[in-house]
Amino acid sequence: MATGILTKEVAIYAVPLVTLLLGVLIGYLAQRSGYCSVGGFRDYLLFRHTRILSGYLTLIVASFAGYLLFWFLTPAAMEHFFWALTSNPLSPVPGAPGGLAPAAYLIFAAIPGFLVGFICILLGGCPIRQTVMASEGSYKAAFFFIGMAAGSIIFAAVVSGWTVSLMKAIGFGA
Amino acid sequence: MPPEPGPQNTQFHFSHLVRHPAFLGALIGVLAAFSQALLISAGGPEAYGFCVACHTRDLVNGLTNIIADTSLALAPISGNAILPVMSIVGVLIGAFLSAKVHREHKIKKADTKGYAIYFLGGFLVLQFAMIFGGCPYRAALRTGYGDLTALVFIITMAFGVVVGTLLMLKRAEKEES
Repeated sequence: MATGILTKEVAIYAVPLVTLLLGVLIGYLAQRSGYCSVGGFRDYLLFRHTRILSGYLTLIVASFAGYLLFWFLTPAAMEHFFWALTSNPLSPVPGAPGGLAPAAYLIFAAIPGFLVGFICILLGGCPIRQTVMASEGSYKAAFFFIGMAAGSIIFAAVVSGWTVSLMKAIGFGA
Repeated sequence: MPPEPGPQNTQFHFSHLVRHPAFLGALIGVLAAFSQALLISAGGPEAYGFCVACHTRDLVNGLTNIIADTSLALAPISGNAILPVMSIVGVLIGAFLSAKVHREHKIKKADTKGYAIYFLGGFLVLQFAMIFGGCPYRAALRTGYGDLTALVFIITMAFGVVVGTLLMLKRAEKEES
């Protein structure tokens, strides 16, 4: 069990507060910069603009740097850092549904990845861009967010069970 | 004579810096790691500092569980805490404040068909993102954490963007001719 800076008794109260403050900061700056993940790839493809893309690529590098920094400072909180080096390199970090073969997790990454990129670019923005546009007053983006909220309940109630059973049915159980 | 660097000058540069997407990218990366270092005792998963799809799921399902006394699945960190993660509420508030302050808030309505398409789009994006276990942002965090399946997600996502963009280009060309 990983332990962070705060004890569990404090952390359970800090979770909503800390994440709320981080969210306000991220939302404010995302509105200023037009931050988007899929939009970066599109702008590079169409115009060779790298501004938006640099935001997403920086995130990948900075998250590694950030985890590395806190791995030095608080190693107990970064239990599975360098995941691919310390376990089966083709399995996801703990938290994914268990009991499936590595091939199933690759399918779970590859096909949803393609579809998320495809759908988001047709609608003109990734989830964070849609959320920010909803705050800017776009009704369409607000309906995207409502769709995500409705999807949350349906996913937990129905779809997550289906996908795991499907993978087991086609022989990718562990 | 060159102008002396004063506080106004640095202010100018700073406002340009915070408007650059790379600045926010760097900030999210470091803050996500900080948030994990601070809060992980409350529960996993790791590399979960910021994610639009998962945190929306936690928010909606966590509040539904509290209000309607259901037991919908959500991440342990949100299930153990007194309230689920609130990043998405924060993003909505932060973006609204910024849009108001900079006079960019503008109501844009559309027709019912547009709403239906965006609702369906949001619904489907959440399903696919949650099957993988994260939106593009958590995919980036997981890649930084050393998860190669997340890198597969990012690569196929870029491929999906290319296909979608080419499809839209083709459709635009057809409409022009």
